[in-house]
Amino acid sequence: MKGKLLLAGAMCVAMYAMPAYAKDSKDVTIVLSENVDMLDPCMSTRSNIGRVILENISETLTELDVRGDKGVMPRLAKSWEEVNDTTWRFHLREGVKFSDGSAFDAQDVKHSFERTFSDKNSCEVSRYFGGIKVTPKIIDEHTIDFTTDPAQPILPLMMSLLTIVPSDTPMEFTRNPVGTGPYKLTEWKPGQQIVLTRRDDYWGKKPAVEQATYVSREDSTVRAAMVAKGEADIAPLIAMQDATDPKMDIAYPNSETFYLRIDNAMAPLNDKRVREALNLAVDRDAFIGTLLPKGVQKATAIVPPTTLGWNPDIKVPAYDPDKAKKLLAEAKADGVPVDTQITLVGRTDNFPNVTEVLEALRAMYEDVGLNVKLKMYEVAEFENNYSKPYPENRGPQLVAAQHDNGRGDPVFSMYFKYDSKGRQSGISDPHVDDLIARATAATGDERKKLWSELFAYLHDDVVADVLLFHMVGFARVNPRIDFTPTIATNSQLQLSEIGFK
Amino acid sequence: MTETVESSQTPVLAEDEKNPVARLLGMLWRDKFALCAALFILLMVLCAVFGPLLLGDAASHQNLRGRNAPPFSWSNGWLFILGADALGRPLLARIVVAAQNTMMVASGAVACSMIIGTALGMIAGYASRRVGEAIMRLADVIMSFPSLLLAVIVLYVFAPSVGNLIVVLAITRIPVYLRTSRAEVLEVRERMFVQAAQVMGASTGRIVFCHILPVIMPTIVTIATLDFAFVMLAESSLSFLGIGIQSPEITWGLMVSQGRSYLVHAWWLSFWPGLAIILTTLSLNLLSNWLRIALDPVQRWRLEIGGKSND
Amino acid sequence: MSRLFRQRAVTSLFSLLGLIVLVFFLSRLTGDPTSLFLPIDATDAMRENFRELHGLNDPLLLQFWHYIVDLTHLDFGESIRKARPAIDVVIEAFGWTFQLAIMTMALVAFCAIVLGSIAAFRVGGKFDRLVSLVSLIGASAPDFWIAIVAIVIFSINIGWLPTSGTGSIAHWILPIAVLFIRPFGLILQVVRGSMISALGSAYVKTAKAKGVKNTPIIFVHTLRNAMLPVITVMGDQAAALLNGAVVVETIFGFPGVGKLMIDSILQRDFNVILAAIMVTALAIFIMNLLIDVAYLFLDPRIRY
Repeated sequence: MKGKLLLAGAMCVAMYAMPAYAKDSKDVTIVLSENVDMLDPCMSTRSNIGRVILENISETLTELDVRGDKGVMPRLAKSWEEVNDTTWRFHLREGVKFSDGSAFDAQDVKHSFERTFSDKNSCEVSRYFGGIKVTPKIIDEHTIDFTTDPAQPILPLMMSLLTIVPSDTPMEFTRNPVGTGPYKLTEWKPGQQIVLTRRDDYWGKKPAVEQATYVSREDSTVRAAMVAKGEADIAPLIAMQDATDPKMDIAYPNSETFYLRIDNAMAPLNDKRVREALNLAVDRDAFIGTLLPKGVQKATAIVPPTTLGWNPDIKVPAYDPDKAKKLLAEAKADGVPVDTQITLVGRTDNFPNVTEVLEALRAMYEDVGLNVKLKMYEVAEFENNYSKPYPENRGPQLVAAQHDNGRGDPVFSMYFKYDSKGRQSGISDPHVDDLIARATAATGDERKKLWSELFAYLHDDVVADVLLFHMVGFARVNPRIDFTPTIATNSQLQLSEIGFK
Repeated sequence: MTETVESSQTPVLAEDEKNPVARLLGMLWRDKFALCAALFILLMVLCAVFGPLLLGDAASHQNLRGRNAPPFSWSNGWLFILGADALGRPLLARIVVAAQNTMMVASGAVACSMIIGTALGMIAGYASRRVGEAIMRLADVIMSFPSLLLAVIVLYVFAPSVGNLIVVLAITRIPVYLRTSRAEVLEVRERMFVQAAQVMGASTGRIVFCHILPVIMPTIVTIATLDFAFVMLAESSLSFLGIGIQSPEITWGLMVSQGRSYLVHAWWLSFWPGLAIILTTLSLNLLSNWLRIALDPVQRWRLEIGGKSND
Repeated sequence: MSRLFRQRAVTSLFSLLGLIVLVFFLSRLTGDPTSLFLPIDATDAMRENFRELHGLNDPLLLQFWHYIVDLTHLDFGESIRKARPAIDVVIEAFGWTFQLAIMTMALVAFCAIVLGSIAAFRVGGKFDRLVSLVSLIGASAPDFWIAIVAIVIFSINIGWLPTSGTGSIAHWILPIAVLFIRPFGLILQVVRGSMISALGSAYVKTAKAKGVKNTPIIFVHTLRNAMLPVITVMGDQAAALLNGAVVVETIFGFPGVGKLMIDSILQRDFNVILAAIMVTALAIFIMNLLIDVAYLFLDPRIRY
């Protein structure tokens, strides 16, 4: 056919037109899974934006050590101390310049903070400060105080989320991010690519990568193929089934925890025996290495084991369908309507294989005699079921969701997920509310102890939900690149951590 | 198709005394391509009707340890001859069972859009100019209304079910029938036999249903067969974008889109349902080509002498 | 000509207005962008502020009034998702879609007319059967399936072409090839059918009877007369392409209007949806006018 001939001819031309990749280039191309719509520094807790901006363009006062065990480390702040119960003082690094040439000082920190809470934008970071009143006060050019009400023991950790912008940045969303980081934005063709170039006047150690290009492709097969072909160097997220080459593909815990939230207010789910049966009926091992990758860990808490207060004494419920059946029979004898249809609500494209995983879960529940219906929703409709106010006449529901907390402290999760007033809480338990309030205000070992106690109480006494797995992600890295993904790769990708072999 | 009917009656007069069904089957027998296509469609219809009854349980029985079993192996039984999917369910059984939803969505959407579209088109063509214009503008609005938005609206406000999917796809296809039937009616109403009926005082209903409808029907039926294929592909695209039918319901389109992430390592997951779609749409296309000729008195002779000659 | 233009413009404006009203209200039925834009654990104050900022708290009719008033100043509103004017976003994306549509349609028109005419000359012959079958198979396969298979074969296994994205000429080949298949199959069938009936019509027979042996002359004259239905179908196909090839754009990472549309719909970025509809409607309107002009040239009997 002539069409084919034409095409073949065009291909020959195309082969010469293709860009050549020099082996010793110090430029990298990173292929993301989602399009980057905005690049405002105050949106950098959103994972696709964070992977471009966080600690590359914009820096934070502190930084959480995810490779070692050093906890909160200095970045733009040299040091900090607690002046009194409600006041933290940060000493800022001197001689730091923004990429627009202006010098970094306490005024910039104050402005960045105020900008985050301005009502002229919808910055994401402010959610972590909900219910806390924070007042910044400049002491001198390189010292700033933060007064909080109530006391905020983990304020230095929270400062690892606040990106610093120059004091002349407008309150409205900006499309020209300026920061103190080792890179600056040099090109942004929306929908095509974003280019960051290394700065020569960066205050810290000079990173190896000279220029980074970000592109996005939605299909995992395409992303994997791009790295394999040398069109890209790093794909931070590819699906398990595409991770077939051990030389390039690296698994890393992605800080997501997969669980089924049980609506504890609805019969028959308001019966503890039914909730236990829901836990016992799941053959967790059957998923590992089949529908989910080998590296996933069975979860006993909604936060990963690297989190403060994670309780090693909690045991994963064993797979025991007979006991589950027995519990259900007992509940039925007491008049609990265990035959009611329960809806298992899932989100399409939540993670690779989510539909298959939920179908398998449904089959396991049917096997112990429960009547479960699976419903997959796209994200907006899923939200309606996941967040309060829950829909009227919803019937008993299990909501399958992932929760992301790689930030080291349970405070970012527990109120939302378990407090009676929490937006995504399925339970209402005064003892839980009390423990959360006390732990949030506590420090040091006391804080750790209270969180541990809460995890055990939720898992063993309340049986609040079906905790399933701490998930892993796969990154594909070109062999010429030296880069090891960590738990933080889900939210950021520091170019300074990339080397060349 | 708009050739004058009167002039072409002569060559086929002798055949007209035969039973029309037997005659049609005779023509089908002579065109082997069309025959195969018709047999395949028949097989698929049988699958759609009896499949879920016979293989419903086998199609939903999971076996995580036998996931992605490769095809052409007899060790697991004949159901696994096409391999197993990501949950270890036999693909053959799933394709047979999915035929029902696929056929229901496609035939439902085609039937609805054909009936509504043709009716509106005939009104637009036969009623007053103003009514006609209004209907045509309505068609324009539907045509330029983004079908994806429509899908999201219906599936969000209601729920993703077979019935609602039919509604979405039917609405987007209405303008095709509307525009075609209107154009045909405008032409047909000027013909002698319609005008004669008008003069003889036949009612509007009688003229439309007894005189105009039979003339435009062949065109509409041909479009419907083609559209059947189109709707099946549209349904699979919706599944690909995540706004079509949702598990545990299955359609071929959904199977292809779920299997696409395994394409490199377990090609059979999306290949077989994809092949089912291709073969069905191909059969329908062949059948529609044949039908177009079989229903057209001018072209019909090609089939009756074996279809091998040329002008 | 100018009467045709005026008449078309008026009726199209009515349709467009109806479309805007429908899309404006129906899209708002599908929920609130607040919970989609803000993170899942956003505070109530953040949600309230977001709604206030984007005027989502106003009564629906007031929102519509504001939109229409802004529209008369050619202000299409702001994209919530991208924090920039919606019309800029749309025009950028439409540029890509437009180029893709033009190139695909040009290729389709050329191949379909040439191959379809050849097939029509020898109806039922080997070439005819082969072309019909191949084009039908191509047109019967789901496009995302073809796209991924094409990437696997041409980019991964053989390695001739880049997998996806934009940049060089090579990046255009796979998307165009995948988009080519369906309209090609359809238009080829139409060309073939309409050529067959044109070749059988009275004037060709007369020409043959008169002893005109020169096939090219017959060919050219027949083609010209057979083009009317072909152009109609091509117009429909081009309109579909101008509306954006969602699936192909999604897989190949092509920043076109189809991809923009599905993203905006899923994110409830209403202003972008509306702006995209208006821009594509305008493009299709212009294209339809051009088609009418083409009719005038092809068939001097047509008068508007």
